[in-house]
Amino acid sequence: MACNSATCNSSGCYKEYAEEQRQPTTRNNGSAAAQKNLCVKCKSNEPVCCGIAGDDARFCKDCFKTNLYGKFKQAVSYNALITPSDKVLVAFSGGPSSRVGLQFVHEMQCRAQNNYDASKDKSLPVFGVGVAFIDESSVHSFTSIEIEKAIEDIRSIVSNLSPPEKELYVVPSENIFSSDSIEGKEKLKKLVDGVSDVTGKEDLLVHLRMLALQKVASENGYTRVVLGTCTSRIACHVISATVKGQGYSLSADIQYVDSRWEIPVVLPLRDCPAQELNTLCSLDGLEIVELINGPCSSINGLVSSFVKVLQEENPSRECTIVRTAGKLTPFHFNRIPDIHDSNIPSATRKRLKRQSLNPNGSISSESFCPICNSPLNKSNFSSSLSNLESDQISTNFAAACCSSCQFQILPKDPSLMEQFVSLLPQPLIARAKRGDQGDFRLLREQIQDFLLSDGCMARHSQGDKLFLAIAMNPDQWLVPASVPCH
Amino acid sequence: MEAGTKPKISGARLCCCCNQRRAALKRPKTLEQICRECFYEVFEEEIHQVIVENQLFKPGERIAIGASGGKDSTVLAYVLSELNRRHNYGLDLFLLSVDEGITGYRDDSLETVKRNELQYGLPLKIVSYKDLYGWTMDEIVKMIGLKNNCTFCGVFRRQALDRGAALLKVDKVATGHNADDIAETVLLNILRDWVDALQLLLVKMDLFLDANLLSIYSPNAYRGFAREFIKDLERLRPRAILDIIKSGENFRISASTKMPEQGTCERCGYISSQKWCKACVLLEGLNRGLPKLGIGRSRGLNSDVKKDVKQDSGTKSIESKQCGSLDF
Amino acid sequence: MQLTLEFGGGLELLCQSVKIHNVNVDLPKGAEKLTMKDLLSWVSTNLIKERPEMFMKGESVRPGVLVLVNDCDWELSGQLDTTLEEKDVVVFISTLHGG
Repeated sequence: MACNSATCNSSGCYKEYAEEQRQPTTRNNGSAAAQKNLCVKCKSNEPVCCGIAGDDARFCKDCFKTNLYGKFKQAVSYNALITPSDKVLVAFSGGPSSRVGLQFVHEMQCRAQNNYDASKDKSLPVFGVGVAFIDESSVHSFTSIEIEKAIEDIRSIVSNLSPPEKELYVVPSENIFSSDSIEGKEKLKKLVDGVSDVTGKEDLLVHLRMLALQKVASENGYTRVVLGTCTSRIACHVISATVKGQGYSLSADIQYVDSRWEIPVVLPLRDCPAQELNTLCSLDGLEIVELINGPCSSINGLVSSFVKVLQEENPSRECTIVRTAGKLTPFHFNRIPDIHDSNIPSATRKRLKRQSLNPNGSISSESFCPICNSPLNKSNFSSSLSNLESDQISTNFAAACCSSCQFQILPKDPSLMEQFVSLLPQPLIARAKRGDQGDFRLLREQIQDFLLSDGCMARHSQGDKLFLAIAMNPDQWLVPASVPCH
Repeated sequence: MEAGTKPKISGARLCCCCNQRRAALKRPKTLEQICRECFYEVFEEEIHQVIVENQLFKPGERIAIGASGGKDSTVLAYVLSELNRRHNYGLDLFLLSVDEGITGYRDDSLETVKRNELQYGLPLKIVSYKDLYGWTMDEIVKMIGLKNNCTFCGVFRRQALDRGAALLKVDKVATGHNADDIAETVLLNILRDWVDALQLLLVKMDLFLDANLLSIYSPNAYRGFAREFIKDLERLRPRAILDIIKSGENFRISASTKMPEQGTCERCGYISSQKWCKACVLLEGLNRGLPKLGIGRSRGLNSDVKKDVKQDSGTKSIESKQCGSLDF
Repeated sequence: MQLTLEFGGGLELLCQSVKIHNVNVDLPKGAEKLTMKDLLSWVSTNLIKERPEMFMKGESVRPGVLVLVNDCDWELSGQLDTTLEEKDVVVFISTLHGG
């Protein structure tokens, strides 16, 4: 076929193009070939790893690290995640993501310290860093030897970081209860066992972990909690939250800043894919402590294997997912509250101020699910609100939860439900009460809304429809799309 | 129950509705065990409820049923004609089919639609690409190859359906999209970074016809991935499909996300957000021997059309959904 | 054992576009009964001519494939453990393609 346009790449044209390309290579054989084997950035060192997923770009070790640290630094400074007067608590699980998070926060602190030492007026203080490890051995089936070894390794990782010294808090999850640890352990076990859905159980543990982190941070005067949540993790969360029907609150969970919590939570590794973080760990010899959990049959497990397959198919898939979800409107709490710090560059301060004035997600009288703390949408209120008048604490509690938690975490049986609520740590109960004081009339309207929108329940799955089709007359329908595309 | 079939487990499992007959299926949606007769009743009544609650139809309206000859549209044709009779909706129903001109693909299914015409007594209208555009899909594929042809098929089909509807002078078009389809679309939109498309989808769900689902010219693996993922999810948690749709409906898409303004195509008068509608741009390309016109980035075209094309590919509307060109 | 197998919804294309197969399946060696599990492995070796991954996943059918044994959803008869008898009719329908 004749080649009509410049973009034509029908076989004939393409061949010519390829030959053109090849010629210079044959001419200056040496340099072109050598070029290919050098780091794409510094053009002087030998590359050791592939850079940004998907690209053929190959980086040398130093450039790779600089690039990754750059993404971290960019996120931190652009969003004022960490300011000089802050005291940040790094949540450290021992895994590769939080290990890199810890390393980068540490390096940033070292640089700040060097600047401080070099400056005359000592006007910029150096932010403080602490590390928290949540010990979940009371709900997982690790042997005590495994867990002791893990804690020992974590201690050595933290103490081997160069000064300034970082305080390490090893906190058992049962700390969320005010009771003593043995009683707390029992309570926690009972609480978690009360959840029958596998996914619900996993999610509850995540919520409780955050509670534990918040408690340590608050008790020890920290001003930020740093999580090692990476792009891949966020991509999985986007899909699984969608699958759980949490589309409304999704955008709250995936921003750099989340100040729903008493101590704002920040995600400086939001732009770093897990694969790159793993690579850095192995390149830099960063020690990792991993407590392996068995295979999980939860929605979360299914989603992460789905995302993994997609990622293998196209290495930038995770980034695409996060980019899509990033277009959803964030909430008013997805920014650092009260930027008064005179140490923040004025440009950043202005930008953040502007953001906060933005009416996006108008600072409404939002109510939050007492269990997962996600902002509630009107349609989140479920029919269980019909017995709203009830004096039962447990009924009122259930009514205040989002529909996703109601389904996958709360027990269905009323007596089990009562027991479950009685076991919940105080902060969750308090959250429900706060929500309770909300506008009652508003709630009523919301119930009305829900009742009207119930029609969606009548949507039918393919299976249903098929059965009807078969039953009607198997010869009636032919399948036009009968060629399975693969 | 037909004579000669024997229950696998005698009497052990009765229908949870009537408690009399043997259950014949487990509804994926509710996991209820239900017999054939009760299933029809429940299924049809649920659809009736949806129609009534959402006031989908008004008495006296003319409705075209998008009929592909497949299971979804066959069920739709059956249920609508049945409910129309049973509940006196007072609707004039028509079957509307599109003949893309794909040999060995549409011929059989059009036969099925013709059988539906007889069985339900619904008048049938078939609009063909050849008549509307002067090209059959086979001819287009011959011209442009297997890559990108889904763009043509999708854009043309969507418009063909609308034009067929105009010919029949109907008030509305009903399509057989089911919950699985919508959930899949929500997921695919996330995977492909198409929030705009998602919003459009939710606005004009009723008119959305997806080319990718139904073509022998569309050898995409990822659609299969997503579908299989949805089925895996459903197995683990039946309500997941409805939850995905709910998520799609509740996504906080800012009101400022620009919605294309609706105008008319200067060339054919069909609704379009651009100067020329997508079908006309594609058609122009075909007729001028520049089939790449209107697909992704284009170079070497006259500046007027070029501008148009650029805008057009910027607005990723449902109509311009490309599958062949995506590197998934 | 005489069985009637029907493939629909696109699955017939995996077995040379033949929808209905009247087959004779032998009991597995040493077994007293034929289960769906046995039948599936028999089908995938004897009937499926191409792209077996469109039909099977692991030792069961791919999610989205409906299975009916004598007009009854196999979810009600124990899925893979369903015992088959002489002259049973088993229907496989893919819901994954087309609508």
